Amino acid sequence: MAAEAVAVEVAAATASAAGLKAVGAGLAVGLAGVGSGLGEMGIGAAAMGAVAENKDMFGLALLFTVLPETIVIFGLVVALLLMFQ
Amino acid sequence: MFQPKPMSKLLIVASKQQLEPVITELYRMNIFHIDDFVEKGDDQWEGFKIGMPLKGADTISSSLVKIRSIASAFGIGSDQLDDVAKAKVQALKQSIERDLPAIADEVEGLLSQRSKLETSIKEYEQKIEALRPFTDAPFPMELLTGYDSISCIAGTVKSKPAIDLPHEIWEKTQKTGLFIAVAVRNEDLAAVERSLLDLQLQKVTIPAETGSAPALIADYEQKIAGIHKEIEQISAKMAEIREKHQYFLMSSEELLSADVEQAEAPLRFATTDLAFAVVGWVPTEQVPKVYETLDRVCAGKVYTTELEIEDYNDGPPVEYNNPDFSHPTELFMDIYSRPKYTEVDPTLLMSIVYPIMFGLILGDVGYGLILLAMSFGLRSLVKGSEAGVQLMNILRNCSISSIIFGVIFSEFFGFSLPWGPLWFSRHIPIGATAEGAHHASAIPQLLVVSIWIGILHITLGRIWGALNASRMEHGHHKSLKMYANIGWILVMWGIIVLIWSKFPIILMPDLTKMPEITGGLNIATVAGAIMLVLGLAFIARENALDLMEVPTIISHVLSYTRLIAVGLSSVAIALVTNFIAIGLIISPQLENLTPVGIVLILVGVVVFLFGHALNTALGILGGGLHPLRLHYVEFFTKFYRGGGKKYNPFGMIRKLTEQN
Repeated sequence: MAAEAVAVEVAAATASAAGLKAVGAGLAVGLAGVGSGLGEMGIGAAAMGAVAENKDMFGLALLFTVLPETIVIFGLVVALLLMFQ
Repeated sequence: MFQPKPMSKLLIVASKQQLEPVITELYRMNIFHIDDFVEKGDDQWEGFKIGMPLKGADTISSSLVKIRSIASAFGIGSDQLDDVAKAKVQALKQSIERDLPAIADEVEGLLSQRSKLETSIKEYEQKIEALRPFTDAPFPMELLTGYDSISCIAGTVKSKPAIDLPHEIWEKTQKTGLFIAVAVRNEDLAAVERSLLDLQLQKVTIPAETGSAPALIADYEQKIAGIHKEIEQISAKMAEIREKHQYFLMSSEELLSADVEQAEAPLRFATTDLAFAVVGWVPTEQVPKVYETLDRVCAGKVYTTELEIEDYNDGPPVEYNNPDFSHPTELFMDIYSRPKYTEVDPTLLMSIVYPIMFGLILGDVGYGLILLAMSFGLRSLVKGSEAGVQLMNILRNCSISSIIFGVIFSEFFGFSLPWGPLWFSRHIPIGATAEGAHHASAIPQLLVVSIWIGILHITLGRIWGALNASRMEHGHHKSLKMYANIGWILVMWGIIVLIWSKFPIILMPDLTKMPEITGGLNIATVAGAIMLVLGLAFIARENALDLMEVPTIISHVLSYTRLIAVGLSSVAIALVTNFIAIGLIISPQLENLTPVGIVLILVGVVVFLFGHALNTALGILGGGLHPLRLHYVEFFTKFYRGGGKKYNPFGMIRKLTEQN
């Protein structure tokens, strides 16, 4: 009886560790995504305005708009490492 | 390679008699980029003035304006015509003189007739709108107007009015509120109006019409229908004219644009009373051709010479000089900024690295094949647009790379190919899909590979940065800039060596076992630290504020991990789609087929198609934008300046007319 209880407990602990990993990975991507979105919000709106005024700005506008997106990539990498390391 | 086409600066001087032949010949050759003459009043060009257009320029321009206005009324463009015989110039000129005025008059007549009819439709519509509130009135409209001692007010009010003066009222609840028409004696008008205004009266003008409102509206609607028919007839006539004259209009547009450009060319020349001079750029390999042709045309009465280029940074126009397969990538360069004449032109490298990065992200045979089909199928949509064709070619190159990486990663719409991954596996064990279980995924290894790509890419960027500094800067600043670029390389590699000396990392040199010098510091640690400090010193010498940017070294290198991270997300979407569609919906039904099961299988197929369509779209976006960003943000910021002038030779490529 005691041995079975210990086995169940160990299994539960492993499962919850895996679950917490998954939760962590989700938080890493999700929160980083929110951050990137907030960053890109203002830049994107301004970039649209600039491109509407002058089409030559497109390249530069695109560049500025995608700058904050690195953050979510870091989030994604952290999540991948958590899940598959 | 990695350099724009070499250009030579030419000066052409001749007497004014030679003006026309020189212009015609330069235009025909289509290689001479004119530097516009500006009257600055400097000594070099003293006595020269901007030239006058050639004779006949105004009549040609007015014909051209006519043709363009007709073309815009018809909405035709030269790109709608292809595979047509080229028009003979002489015949075309004759028919411009003969036919154009008649066509222009006819089209103008039709257009003005149409706009008149459209105006009258609007007028009738306004009348109908004014009559609309009176539709239910039990009286004809003429009873509301035309009295000497009685006035009528009509409009919408908020609630039923209580008027204590002699009056007659008709009311009707409508969508906008209570509509009323009140007739009162003239002397009571002001008082009644005030009381109605308290009820927020919104007055409408009473239409001066005869007859009942519904009959009038019906009458007007009939009239509008009649006018619509007339407009249709006019449109049909215009379509007929368009069909008949489209080719004539477009070819004469081309001919006259060429003529106007030539006739107005002297506005870009420097002239005196008897002579003219023009400065411009020609690709160096074409210089002898210019000498020879001009000499022949003017029978030797022209002086052409090559000028010394004083400032390379602000002079020659830039024409790309790349092998054919790199031409599409020039689109990405132009979106960012054309390179300056003296700097390194990274187009060739980008045309190789970009598809590789795309393939790393979207390495899947199935998606690659879809994109390949798209790149050929969508070609007809972008006909006539150079940028569109370039984009399609880029898509083609990228999809081929995607297929190659798909074979390497052994992926086909998220399924495994008959063989295992030839390189590191990207298959992820998701849900209960068997595909993932076959091969252990090697994600940390792939992440390290992407970091290697970043390290090499950025190092190359910095080397080119030093090269650009050596070519474009002068004096003391030149060496400072070059050393700063070397400094950045040293800092980056210093940090890398320091990390290697402390932590063993897969697929990277392990320097932790190097002989120890003192207190846990081995040779690599010390070497890395020295590189770091030296690099920081070089950077600070150029501009101490740049030291603030040092942390970006790490973020820029790590940014390259997106190549794998974004790629894995697309793999995950594909696997999940397959798992939901096949694993959860289709397979269980196939085991025990029932009528409901067949419907469910169809649902599964829809989920499958939708999921993969979504993933393809995301793949194009992710696979296309992320490598572009890595180039623009992480790579170009290390060396690229841009801002070069586009090489825009005087002349045109004739599509519809023969060269005269």
